[in-house]
Amino acid sequence: MNNTSPAAIEVRNVVKRFGAVTALNEVSLSIPAGEMFFLLGPSGCGKTTLLRILAGLETPDSGTVLFNGQDVAALPAYERGAPMVFQNYALWPHLNVRDNIAFGLVERRVPKAEILSRAEDVLKRVGLAGLGERMPGQLSGGQQQRVVLARALVLNPAVILLDEPLSNLDAKLRVEMRAEIEKLRRDTNITFVYVTHDQADALALADRMAVIHLGQVNAVGTPLELYARPPNAFCADFLGEANFIEGHVDGDTVQTPLGHWTWREGRLTGDGSPHQEAAPSSGRARRPAEPGDMAGAYVCLVRPENIQCVEGADAVANGFEAEITGVRVNGATVTVALAAAGLTLKATVLTQRCLGFQKGDRRWWTVAPENVVLLAP
Amino acid sequence: MKIRFGTPLAVIAIVAALGIFLVWPMAHVFTRSFWDDRGFTWIYVAGLFTNAVQIQAGLTSFWIATCVTLSCVGVALPLAWLFARRSFRGKAVWSGLLLLPMILPPFVSAVGMKIIFSRAGALSTLLMNLGVVDGPVDWLGHFPLFGIVLLETLHLFPILFLNLVASLANIDPSLEESALNLGASPMRVFRRVTLPLAMPGLFAGMTLVFIWSFTELGTPLVFGLRRVLPVAIYDSVAEIGTNSSGYAMVTFVLVISALGFWISKRLLSRQRSVATLGRLSQARREIPLSFRGTALVYLLVGGILFAAVLPQISVVLLSVSHRWFLTVLPEGFTMDFYGQALNSELTRTALLNSLSFSLCATVLDLLLGFGIAWLCVRKKIWGSDWLDALAMLPLAVPGLVIAFGYLGCFSGSFPNTLLDPRMNPMILLSVSYAIRRLPYMVRAAHAGLEQVSSTYEEAAANLGATPFRVVWRITLPLISANLLAGAILCFSFSMLEVSDSLILAQSENFYPITKAIYVLLESLENGLNVASALGVWAMALLGSGLLLAAALMGKRFGQMFRAG
Repeated sequence: MNNTSPAAIEVRNVVKRFGAVTALNEVSLSIPAGEMFFLLGPSGCGKTTLLRILAGLETPDSGTVLFNGQDVAALPAYERGAPMVFQNYALWPHLNVRDNIAFGLVERRVPKAEILSRAEDVLKRVGLAGLGERMPGQLSGGQQQRVVLARALVLNPAVILLDEPLSNLDAKLRVEMRAEIEKLRRDTNITFVYVTHDQADALALADRMAVIHLGQVNAVGTPLELYARPPNAFCADFLGEANFIEGHVDGDTVQTPLGHWTWREGRLTGDGSPHQEAAPSSGRARRPAEPGDMAGAYVCLVRPENIQCVEGADAVANGFEAEITGVRVNGATVTVALAAAGLTLKATVLTQRCLGFQKGDRRWWTVAPENVVLLAP
Repeated sequence: MKIRFGTPLAVIAIVAALGIFLVWPMAHVFTRSFWDDRGFTWIYVAGLFTNAVQIQAGLTSFWIATCVTLSCVGVALPLAWLFARRSFRGKAVWSGLLLLPMILPPFVSAVGMKIIFSRAGALSTLLMNLGVVDGPVDWLGHFPLFGIVLLETLHLFPILFLNLVASLANIDPSLEESALNLGASPMRVFRRVTLPLAMPGLFAGMTLVFIWSFTELGTPLVFGLRRVLPVAIYDSVAEIGTNSSGYAMVTFVLVISALGFWISKRLLSRQRSVATLGRLSQARREIPLSFRGTALVYLLVGGILFAAVLPQISVVLLSVSHRWFLTVLPEGFTMDFYGQALNSELTRTALLNSLSFSLCATVLDLLLGFGIAWLCVRKKIWGSDWLDALAMLPLAVPGLVIAFGYLGCFSGSFPNTLLDPRMNPMILLSVSYAIRRLPYMVRAAHAGLEQVSSTYEEAAANLGATPFRVVWRITLPLISANLLAGAILCFSFSMLEVSDSLILAQSENFYPITKAIYVLLESLENGLNVASALGVWAMALLGSGLLLAAALMGKRFGQMFRAG
């Protein structure tokens, strides 16, 4: 974020209210050109409103939106040049596939011959060559999705906005379309802003993402950063499964109901990940991640895959004994429900390592301390 | 930010049009019934309640409207219950056919009715041949109101039927099932649960029927009944400049109609909050009828339809026969009258006039109707509820009121211009037709816009289409079926509009069809037959238009005639 060229999209202190409801509260974001940026959050968090503000379909109550450093607040939707892929496709039912795709080119007064050739090209690109004469109703859901994408791509835009584009597709098609979008991402230098409530989509596709919660930016970062070092409990919980354990930090140990955990390498992570670039909404100062610097009550985030079973039945470092109360097979991994010290925990273990597990078994488990994230209580 | 003028301009144009051609005439009628050249006076309004002739006219109209309303309930309630709660073969076709009586103009039916019930008519002759009566009976002479009530009942019951079916269908099935479950017999469920819940719809439909029959001008006119309010108003047109009692009568009609309409609106909005808490909790399962049940229903519905169509049939018969006097069926088949209907100067001009007035009215309605629906549904402008209510007002304002108001305001304010109906009624007739049918067009466009997701328009704007281009390339094509259906309705109804046509067209060059029919009825030689032939032409036009509209609108066609 230190480059001097302006970000492709910059949002500054945007506020949007609908009556008494504040949909967006002082949202600021910066998205560099060519990035696949995700807006992720539960339904009703304001992410779609933000996308519609980028498209010019809603006007913010205050704040500014800049495209390449230019304030676009005054530009109506039809002059934004940021085509959008609508959740319900919005393919015009009275126009055939080619006319749907050509729509934006016609509005831009592109010569007829060029429109035809560009429409053909883009149809080929999305794998729908020869279907230009079909009506949208005659296409499958996946094909419709491709047409919507083609309708945006044909304009050679700098930005494409996607609003939950995969939510109407079945599981198999989703995987296919994800691959398709990834390919697009590689082949073009388009900036994508992608809204979804599905963390799997976001983790799989995003260069960076913003977690939106209650109309505010909760966290911004790469999928890896946010998954492994989430800055707060909401973000941790939203991106995958999480165990939250209350702990008291003192020097290089943390005391939890499961026992003392000690840091071997003298490193622990804490509140405010180093990558966090702008999260004014969180309001918390970044803290150096030095163990000596931290003391007091914290919530320890332990991802289920960081609780591992120990062979044998003896006490180990950072270990605890727990009873297995449930086993859920995911495929390659198994999620085991554990009860220990009055807590309910989840552990994810490779399937081949827990073939003998039974409900009611008591076993020893260990937590890798370098993967424990300390969060403000 | 660029300032956009489109919306404000549209609002100003629409509000101005409605203001000048709807609100002003009504306000004019209202003020003129209290103010004359000498200032404020009660005498005209007081006359309504003191002048014996006016009292009698008012009471007769009231009596007719009450009888029509009650007999419509008698016909429509069982039918509506059957159609809302039972399933049987051919239900869709029958429910479509049940709309037929509504679209056949009672004005024309009245001619047929007169033939059937007159002294030397079909019924008398039939009864004489059967030996039931000794000599010809003048049915209409003995029971002058009977014919009117019968005719208007058969014409108006579909309105009540549509309102009731909608009401009954809106009742959550679980409400009735829980009553059954708690021990009420089906009859008791109907009385204690179904009927109370459907009551708002019933009342709303009843008020519509009441207003229509209270203000019906054509039928009593054809029957020669002059002592009813609408005809009294029609007769007062001649002295509109000198005697304000006509204004007072119109105001009276207007107040009654507006009151009824307001009550029905209130009732309907209450029903929405009571009968269904949001969506129906489950889909209703209609009980299939047995073979015998189905046969009985066919007999019932078929009988009602036959009765409703009988006058029209006699009109058709009349139009193809030389002689229908003291015989059950007419004698002497001929197609001459159809030729005459198209060849005489009077009828040819009338057909052309009606065509061009209706066409103008339709175009006006398309512009106004789409504009209003657009502003209300998509733009959600400030005060859109008021605009919508204003556009729906003509449902409550009888044509009589509008025509009388036009004559009063425009001939006084713009004498000897194109807006003076005495000089040239073309503009005012077209506009009055348009205003009268505007609610249907607004509803059609409204339904279309609500059906078409606004994301289609957003997507177009998002891809670079200006607001005007969005409407042109996306919105209009997507709701074209609705607009076409609305246009056909406007056109068809305008072709056979009665009260505006009779009152506003005052010289022969500007007669529309209905006025020509009326004039022909009064003339001696073959007038009745030629009028019938002209009526058949008009009915054929209207019928095919409405069938086309129904096909285009599909299931939503019935919505056009509901109260709310």
